[in-house]
Amino acid sequence: MLKRQVEALIFASDVPLSLQRLRELTQASSNEIHQSLAELQADYADRGIRLCRIAEGWQFRTDPEQAEVVRRLWETRPPKLSRALLETLAIIAYRQPVTRAEIEALRGIKTSSSVIATLQERGWIKVVGRKEVPGRPQLLATTRQFLIDFGLNSLDDLPDASQLLDEGEIEQLVLENITDARKEVVETQEKP
Amino acid sequence: MTSGETLQEHQAPARALPDVRLEQFEGPLDVLLHLIRSQELDIFDIPIALIARQYMEILERQTAIDLEAAGDYLVMASTLMQLKSRMLLPRQETDDEGNEIDPRQELVAQLIAYEQFRALAAELDERPRVLRDIFLRPIFPEADEVQRPLPEADLSMLLTAFRRVLRRIGGEVRHRIFTETISVREQMGRLLERLQLGRVDLHEFLGEQPGKEALVTTMLALLELWRQQAIVVIQSESYGPITLLRREEEHAETTG
Repeated sequence: MLKRQVEALIFASDVPLSLQRLRELTQASSNEIHQSLAELQADYADRGIRLCRIAEGWQFRTDPEQAEVVRRLWETRPPKLSRALLETLAIIAYRQPVTRAEIEALRGIKTSSSVIATLQERGWIKVVGRKEVPGRPQLLATTRQFLIDFGLNSLDDLPDASQLLDEGEIEQLVLENITDARKEVVETQEKP
Repeated sequence: MTSGETLQEHQAPARALPDVRLEQFEGPLDVLLHLIRSQELDIFDIPIALIARQYMEILERQTAIDLEAAGDYLVMASTLMQLKSRMLLPRQETDDEGNEIDPRQELVAQLIAYEQFRALAAELDERPRVLRDIFLRPIFPEADEVQRPLPEADLSMLLTAFRRVLRRIGGEVRHRIFTETISVREQMGRLLERLQLGRVDLHEFLGEQPGKEALVTTMLALLELWRQQAIVVIQSESYGPITLLRREEEHAETTG
């Protein structure tokens, strides 16, 4: 029975299983597998384990609300991420591929090498090439591991990705508002 | 005087700066945003004179400052001073097309761009994260019991692994009775010899090397062999163990 096969495969796999991989393994059609996945997702909807779409694949994960009790299994807590690291990661995630200089320009401060090293060590970012400008700086981008660890199906699922203003939009916004503010000052001064 | 700035400066008392310390901030833009947002100032009409003064106060209060960051803070200080004097110019600045330019434009755009990412970073941190809020089924039968395709590692993974070993041995003092320098070539031979007996775990092999110099030599030897395509470097999962094997052995494994 396909549904049971799919469930067992996803359970046994240590990485999210893509639809294509499930098709290869079960020899079933995409439609049939989709149906099984939908049924499984409904079955697991109010369980301590969820069936989630991660990095263009499927994976069982614990319910985030059970985090506290699950953490009691181990003595250590995962380290908190520093703001420098999170801001750097956010810029790489939303603006990829980016160079270190571009990250520094956005944050207005140098990025320490240890931040980049830690991000690489965690497997969240990687070098994807070099920018064809003087010095050919490395271009950084996020990895599949980043999607997995932050529970994203793809980069499109990054929070508020669509609302992010790019450079041109910000410039426009500033021009419209800053001149208004000035005009008001001028007008109020000219009135008396 | 072109704007109501001096007025505002008198109205806003020094209450704006209760014990702010530089080390709570992530750079000059972060400090400025704090000053602007905490005093509910209009980001599109920043009272530069007031902000510059408060910024300098925070900077001066700092006794020890991280040298690398100091430069960035000082550059911003001079930018603010320059803006302050430009704001006092009686004549409006204009661009090539004759449109008025507000000297603050560039800074405001920078602040807005940074503020976006500051918020996104916080949001990213709040997302349920694997190993903090979400847990996966722990892995998994022993690697050699499972037949898997052999994905190739890349250079950055190798260097990351190398860095990790370096850090681990970092603080360790090694006594040396006599100096024995190992050449890269010798080490290449040694590594190949070892690989003849079968695959080698990178961490294990690096761990066997006495001291940093031997480590670096080993790493160079490994990179050279890799470049000559005499060996294959395998990492089956990111962050996972890295295995070395001879190129012939790889063929034997995939075909056999």
